[in-house]
Amino acid sequence: MEAVIDTPPTAPLAAPDGGEQAIDLRAEFTESGLARVLDELDTDLVGLVPVKQRLREIGALLLVDRARARFGLQAVSPTLHMSFTGNPGTGKTTVALRMAEILHRLGYVRKGHLVTVTRDDLVGQYIGHTAPKTKEVLKRAMGGVLFIDEAYYLYRPENERDYGQEAIEILLQVMENQRDDLVVILAGYADRMERFFTANPGFRSRVAHHIDFPDYTGGELEAIGARILDGMNYRLSPAAEEAFHRYVELRMAQPHFANGRSVRNALDRARLRQANRLFASERPVTAGDLTTIEAEDILASRVFSGGIDSYPPLPAR
Amino acid sequence: MNAIDKTTSADAPRSRYSAGVMEYRKMGYWQPDYEPKDTDVIALFRVTPQDGVDPIEASAAVAGESSTATWTVVWTDRLTACDKYRAKCYRVDPVPNSPGSWFAYIAYDLDLFEPGSIANLSASIIGNVFGFKPLKALRLEDMRLPVAYVKTFDGPATGIVVERERLDKFGRPLLGATVKPKLGLSGRNYGRVVYEALKGGLDFTKDDENINSQPFMHWRDRFLYCMEAVNKAQASTGEVKGTYLNITAGTMEDMYERAEFAKQLGSSIVMIDLIIGYTAIQSMAKWARRNDMILHLHRAGHSTYTRQKTHGVSFRVIAKWMRLAGVDHIHAGTVVGKLEGDPHTTKGYYDICREDYVPQNLAHGVFFDQDWASTRKLMPVASGGIHAGQMHQLIDLLGEDVVLQFGGGTIGHPMGIQAGATANRVALEAMILARNEGRDIVVEGPDILQDAARHCLPLRQALDTWKDVTFNYSSTDTPDFVPQATAAE
Amino acid sequence: MRITQGAFSFLPDLDDGQITRQVQYCIDKGWAVNIEFTDDPHPRNTYWEMWGMPMFDVPDAAGVMFELNACRKAHAGRNYIRVSAFDSTHTWESLRLSFITDRPADEPGFALDRQEVDGRSIRYTTRAYAADRPEGARY
Ligand SMILES: Nc1ncnc2c1ncn2[C@@H]1O[C@H](COP(=O)(O)OP(=O)(O)O)[C@@H](O)[C@H]1O
Ligand SMILES: [Mg+2]
Repeated sequence: MEAVIDTPPTAPLAAPDGGEQAIDLRAEFTESGLARVLDELDTDLVGLVPVKQRLREIGALLLVDRARARFGLQAVSPTLHMSFTGNPGTGKTTVALRMAEILHRLGYVRKGHLVTVTRDDLVGQYIGHTAPKTKEVLKRAMGGVLFIDEAYYLYRPENERDYGQEAIEILLQVMENQRDDLVVILAGYADRMERFFTANPGFRSRVAHHIDFPDYTGGELEAIGARILDGMNYRLSPAAEEAFHRYVELRMAQPHFANGRSVRNALDRARLRQANRLFASERPVTAGDLTTIEAEDILASRVFSGGIDSYPPLPAR
Repeated sequence: MNAIDKTTSADAPRSRYSAGVMEYRKMGYWQPDYEPKDTDVIALFRVTPQDGVDPIEASAAVAGESSTATWTVVWTDRLTACDKYRAKCYRVDPVPNSPGSWFAYIAYDLDLFEPGSIANLSASIIGNVFGFKPLKALRLEDMRLPVAYVKTFDGPATGIVVERERLDKFGRPLLGATVKPKLGLSGRNYGRVVYEALKGGLDFTKDDENINSQPFMHWRDRFLYCMEAVNKAQASTGEVKGTYLNITAGTMEDMYERAEFAKQLGSSIVMIDLIIGYTAIQSMAKWARRNDMILHLHRAGHSTYTRQKTHGVSFRVIAKWMRLAGVDHIHAGTVVGKLEGDPHTTKGYYDICREDYVPQNLAHGVFFDQDWASTRKLMPVASGGIHAGQMHQLIDLLGEDVVLQFGGGTIGHPMGIQAGATANRVALEAMILARNEGRDIVVEGPDILQDAARHCLPLRQALDTWKDVTFNYSSTDTPDFVPQATAAE
Repeated sequence: MRITQGAFSFLPDLDDGQITRQVQYCIDKGWAVNIEFTDDPHPRNTYWEMWGMPMFDVPDAAGVMFELNACRKAHAGRNYIRVSAFDSTHTWESLRLSFITDRPADEPGFALDRQEVDGRSIRYTTRAYAADRPEGARY
């Protein structure tokens, strides 16, 4: 395996006539499917302008790396491990899935699957449990991307015999030695991730790309809501749209706000209320009824009375 | 037969003739609306009536003569549930591109057959009717054996999977060779061939069908020397080896005696010939089951009735009967070798041997869906005129669950038997390795062999020696639903 | 001598690229790949020591190679190592492929013991020379 790392994927190009051989990067961009993945990313995901920009840059870098390798110019395979920082629901997992596809299209991972884990999947309960557990996860992820959510929980300095340390050591080793077998993405809150990197410089030095996921604006959250509903064949009535606008404003100011995830959850609850409303109305329903969320389905949320949104409603305190 | 036999001949006037046949049709042997039950045995016959005989009448007669077989109402019929026992011809189709022949589908109630008896099954279906005068020719093409009947047989005691487990050999065809010359070797000389072939890399060697106990070699001598060879080869390679000791003999008592001796000497496999008869085969299958012995069947004699397309019994039926009877190996054709075998038809035989569920496939000559209900898989054996240079074709056509028997292709190697065996084994392993890597072995096969030959002199010699040997004659037993093809070019 | 168990023993030893491709073939067929090692290569020694469990959910051969390399680190040179693939399909439910990836530097082979019994009959026993020494000290 080791030996494979340093050899370029294909033999160096030599022009048959001895002249300068050229690679058409635009054509490569289209042929590799990278163009399509990035375009899809643009249209499917709301906002995230800086993230999309970074992904394009990384894509371009890898494409150029590939071209260099074909001229025999590249010396080492690029480090592709990344950190995705941002608050919950800002799209880190969603983007990681696309990242796996991009890497697969460019031939940097063989399978392109994403394995998502947290500390509990890596760290064991008793002595001798952690190494096999971590290795099991690594083996499953090889050929694809390993996404470690809230990676900083692996490191618990307050407990010096914490098994997390064992997982960290194995991870570092594989991240270093098997760079062409898997790509690791560490995800979590920006500040905690920063402290984690400071305490574990091994990780910082192995992570090449840091991508920050900003919180969404109110308008973006509404657009995300529209995407989610559209994907499930629902829509908001004009009055419901107005109600949802107010909902988002209120919810953003509340504690435990989780961006896209809060929107998804709110809409899940609205669907439940809609179903209940239609059932209770005891009249035949049309396709229009079945696809439309009305203002009342949104306004019934306790968010509007300063409480926590839930379904069924929490008992009043 | 009765009245028809007495009153008609091929040249007899048509009126007299059809009058008799009409009776079968009227008597309930032709039931175009009949829906076969899940528990019915179904037979498909290729019927070629005498000139002027109506195909439906002829087919109904086949149903009659292969079941209750009366031409007229006898009062004793009325003591029985005769409707149930009558075979019912329910469909007659013209054979494509073959004027004068028809496919007749006939259903038989399960109660017509004794459980677990090929003798009874075959006596019923082919016992009487093949000599029936109103027919020019008759062929049993295929049978659908209902699960209810399949389950009355033990089937192969060992089968493909357990044989592989015992031999500890997975993922590639097994390699064998028939000891040559067939006749004249003394036991001591015979064992030499076995040792050389096994040590060189074969998994098995094999007695030929007519190696029994002749003046030049008593069977006990053969067994003793062969087992010395097997054990010595096993120790020198660290691999499980075997030789099919042919226990075919004049009486069952002799066969049991030979089988017991083979077991006592530690042989893992014994062999019988098809000509010993179905009952003897089933007896030996039971013995093999009791004694952890793999049972190899050589289909000696089958071509006398399987080869011609118009008359006899198709080998696919024999293969089905033998899977029920419980042999573990059966010779099923090579396609590219020296013996009869159309590629599509042969594919059909292999499916019948190896699959748990064989769907209808007219292009392969398989007329019915056949559910084997977990009956163990029968290992097909390809033997006769094949050599290392055809390895890619053999693996492509026959797959990996097969014994490839290179007799001449091992023993005829210019540098000796060990070299011949090694050439075959290297060719085989190189081809499987390449296939698993995703290479197109049909196209790249010759290159793969040449590459492998770079580190294996015996293979290089084999490829040079047999490079031009092919047997490209058109087959006689071909499917009726596709244009025929030959495999090797 | 060279023990010729397994599917590819007549070829030159497979390199890691070749092993990876065979393993990927097995994975793509849906088979679980297993690594085993032994210092008793008797042809009927069925149960080699397992290096961990068969790998059921590993989609890429790199995961298996990762374990093979770990097994080598612990046992290569003093053991045979083989890779096997299990197929759980109904009516198969056994191995589909098995091949040796590593062997001891020196393979002393087997003795064939003959015990003359019952007239001309012989009882044969195959004995690995290596197995004369205690487990762990054989190669
Ligand atoms: N930019 C976006 N466009 C569309 N949907 C989004 C976007 N960002 C997040 N979502 C939705 O929000 C939910 C949470 O996103 P997720 O990727 O799990 O966030 P994180 O991993 O950062 O916690 C998902 O259901 C996703 O569909
Ligand atoms: Mg997430």
